[in-house]
Amino acid sequence: MAIDTPAGIDSEEGMDLGAQHGDPDDPRRIWRPSTAGYVGRFFVLGLFAAFVLTAPFWVPDTQTNILSRAAVFAMVALSMNVLMGYTGQVSLGHAAFVGVGAFSAGFALTEAQMPWMFAAVFAIATGGVSALILGGIALRVRGLYLALVTIAYGLFAQEVIFNIRAVTRGGAGMPAPRPAFASGDYAYFYLCVAAVLVVWVLDWLLTSSKAGRAIQALRDDERVAASWGINVTGFKLLAFVVSGSIAGLAGALFASIETIVVSISFGFGLSLLFVLMTVVGGLGSRPGVVTGGVLFAVLPTLLETAHNAWSWWPFTALWEPLIGALLLILTLIFFPGGIAQQNEHLYRWLSFKKFHAEEHGPVANPGGGGGH
Amino acid sequence: MDESTVPFYERYRTPLIVVTVAVVFILFAVFVLDINMISVLVNGLQVGAVYSLVALGLALVYKATRVLNFAQGELGTVPAFLVFLILVNGDRSVEIDIGTLSTSKLLLATLIAIVVGAVLAVLVNVLVVQRLADASPVTSLVATAGVALLFSSAELIFFEAKARKFPRFVEGSPCFARDAEGFCTSPLAFGGVVVPWHTIIVIAVLAVAAALLAVFFRTPPGVALLATAQEPFAAELHGISVRSMSTLAWGTAGALAAIGGVLGAGVFEAISPGLMTTTFLIPAFTAAVLGGITSMVGAVVGGLLLGITVAFANSFVLAQNLTSVLPGPPQIATFLVLLLVLLVRPRGLLGKEA
Repeated sequence: MAIDTPAGIDSEEGMDLGAQHGDPDDPRRIWRPSTAGYVGRFFVLGLFAAFVLTAPFWVPDTQTNILSRAAVFAMVALSMNVLMGYTGQVSLGHAAFVGVGAFSAGFALTEAQMPWMFAAVFAIATGGVSALILGGIALRVRGLYLALVTIAYGLFAQEVIFNIRAVTRGGAGMPAPRPAFASGDYAYFYLCVAAVLVVWVLDWLLTSSKAGRAIQALRDDERVAASWGINVTGFKLLAFVVSGSIAGLAGALFASIETIVVSISFGFGLSLLFVLMTVVGGLGSRPGVVTGGVLFAVLPTLLETAHNAWSWWPFTALWEPLIGALLLILTLIFFPGGIAQQNEHLYRWLSFKKFHAEEHGPVANPGGGGGH
Repeated sequence: MDESTVPFYERYRTPLIVVTVAVVFILFAVFVLDINMISVLVNGLQVGAVYSLVALGLALVYKATRVLNFAQGELGTVPAFLVFLILVNGDRSVEIDIGTLSTSKLLLATLIAIVVGAVLAVLVNVLVVQRLADASPVTSLVATAGVALLFSSAELIFFEAKARKFPRFVEGSPCFARDAEGFCTSPLAFGGVVVPWHTIIVIAVLAVAAALLAVFFRTPPGVALLATAQEPFAAELHGISVRSMSTLAWGTAGALAAIGGVLGAGVFEAISPGLMTTTFLIPAFTAAVLGGITSMVGAVVGGLLLGITVAFANSFVLAQNLTSVLPGPPQIATFLVLLLVLLVRPRGLLGKEA
C-alpha cells in the first residue's frame, strides 16, 4: 500500500536535484521540491485557479448556469468518492440523496421561509439523516445486496418520496430561490465554486485524519481492520453520513441553479450518470472525480454546441449517456483508475510531490489507492 | 443437533410465520378492506410471471458466474424493439397496425428476437463481463449497469422518447359465446373479473420455460453448469470448460430476457426506450432475492409472489383512496419486500446461501 514518501531508500533518490534538503541518506527525510519546483507548481496552480475563476467570462452568458451545474456535479462526485472510493461501497441511487437535499432546501426556502444559509444547513442535515437510515440497513447487508438496496432506494425516492405533493408540490415543482447575496448567475457560480472548495478541504482533512485512514483500512479488509481495533460499524456509518451530507449540500446548490426543483430531475439515469462520472474520473482520487464530474456536467452542452457549429458533427446532447456508458466500460476494462490514472504524474507533481512515483504498481485502482 | 431431531415447527419456523401473516393479511384485506382478491390475482400473476422470467435469467447468470446482471432488462427491451421494427417493416416512423397483424409474423419475429437476445447476452459476457473476471462482483455490476445505459441510450437515440403500440400474441380474453355482431357475451371470468389471454399466455410461457430449465439441469450440460456453479476449479479439473459454461448460462439468460421483453411490452401494450429496466428489472432483482438468488424455483415463486404483492398494493391504495398521498404503490411494495427479505432472511425463501 502507498506509504507517503518513504524517501531516500532507493538509490535513484539522490539523483533528483530538488532533493537536497538535509542528509540525503537519512531515511526519515521528507522530499521537498526545489525553489524552482515551488515556483513552477504555484504558477501552474495559479493559472488553473485563474482559469476557473474567469470561466464565466469565457462562455456566453446564457451558459453560466452550466458552469454552476459543473461545480455541483463536482461536489456530487466528491460525495460519491467518499462511498465508492474510500469505503468501497457502491451507491447506485445517489440521485436520491441529492434529490432529498434539493427538496429539503426548496421546502425550507418556500414553505418555511428560511434564509438560504439555514436552508442549506437543513439540506445537509436531511441528506445526512437519510444516508444514516440507509447506512443502518447497509450494515446488515454487504456488497451486491447493498448495491441492490441503493438501486431500490433510488427508485423508491424517485417514484414515491419526490411525488408526495404535500412535501414536493408534485409535478409543478418546488421553488428554491437563490440567496440574496448571490442572486446573479456569476455570483451564484462563485458561491458554488467556494462550496466545492470547502468540501474539498473537508474531504482532504477527513482522508488525512485517523478516521479517514480507518475508513480506507476497512475498505481493503474489514476483518483485518477490525482486528486492529477499528470500529467497522461506526466508520461505515460515518462514511455514509459524510457522503449523504455532501450530497445534500450539492442538492441545495442544484435546486437554486434553476430556482425550481422538480421530481423528474432525480431519476435513475442521473444516479447512473453519477456512478459513471466517478468511476471514469478515478475512484479514490479527488482531482480525478472532480474532473469526471465537470466533464459529464458540460458534455451535453459541448456536444450540442459542436453539433450547431459544424454540420458534419453527428453527436447531439442525446448521445451523452451513450458516450458516458462506453467510457465507463472502457475505463473499467482498460484503465481502472480512470482519468486520475492518466494524469497520475501531473496530479502528484501539483500536490508538491515528485513527478515520478517512488513506489511502483498501480497508483489508482478501483477501490484502492485512495487519498492522493 | 441432528437435522431429524429438530422439531417440525422449528425447522420451518420462518416459512410458517410468513404463511400465517399472509393468510391473516389476506383475510383482513378481503373482509375488512373489501379488496377483490381475484382481481389482484389476475393482475398480479400477469405482471409477476414477467418478473419471474427476468428473475430466472438473473438467477441463472448469478448462479453460473456470480455476476448480478443489471443489463438483463435491456437484453429484453432491445429484442422487443427488434420485434417492433420487423412488424413495421423497418419503418420506425409508423405505428404497428394491431388490427391487421398476423400472429404467425409476430411469432416469427419473436423467434428472431429470442436468438438476437441470446447472441447479445453472449456478446456482453465475452466483451465486458469476462474481461472483468478478476474484479469484485460490485465492479461487474457497475459494468453491466454501463451496458444497460448503453443499450437504453442507443434505443433513445434510435426510437426517441415516446411510447409506441406493441401487440400481444392474442388480444382480448377467451370467449365462450358471442352475439350476432361478434361481441363477446361470455368471456372467461372468475367472480366477475375477466381473465385476458395475455395473463394465460405469460403464465404458460413461464411454466414451459421453467420446465425446460428443470429438464436442462438433468442433462449432461446442465449438470456441468451446476458443477461449475458450485466449484469452478474442480469442474475444470473434470474437463468442463468454465468459459463455455458461462456462455451457455448467458445465452440462456439472454433468450429468457428476450421472451420477457416481448411479453413485458405486451403487458402495457406499449414499448418505450428503457422499458424493461425501469418497470421490470428492480422488481425482478427483488423477486430473485425473495426466492433465494441462486434458486431457479425461487425465482419463479418470488416473481409470482412479488407480482401479487404489487397488485395488492395497487388495489389497496386505490380502494383506500390514497392515490394522492401515497404515489407509486408498486415501488413502495418492492422496496419494502426487498428490505424485509434482506433484514429477516437474506438467503430468501428457497435459497441455501445468502
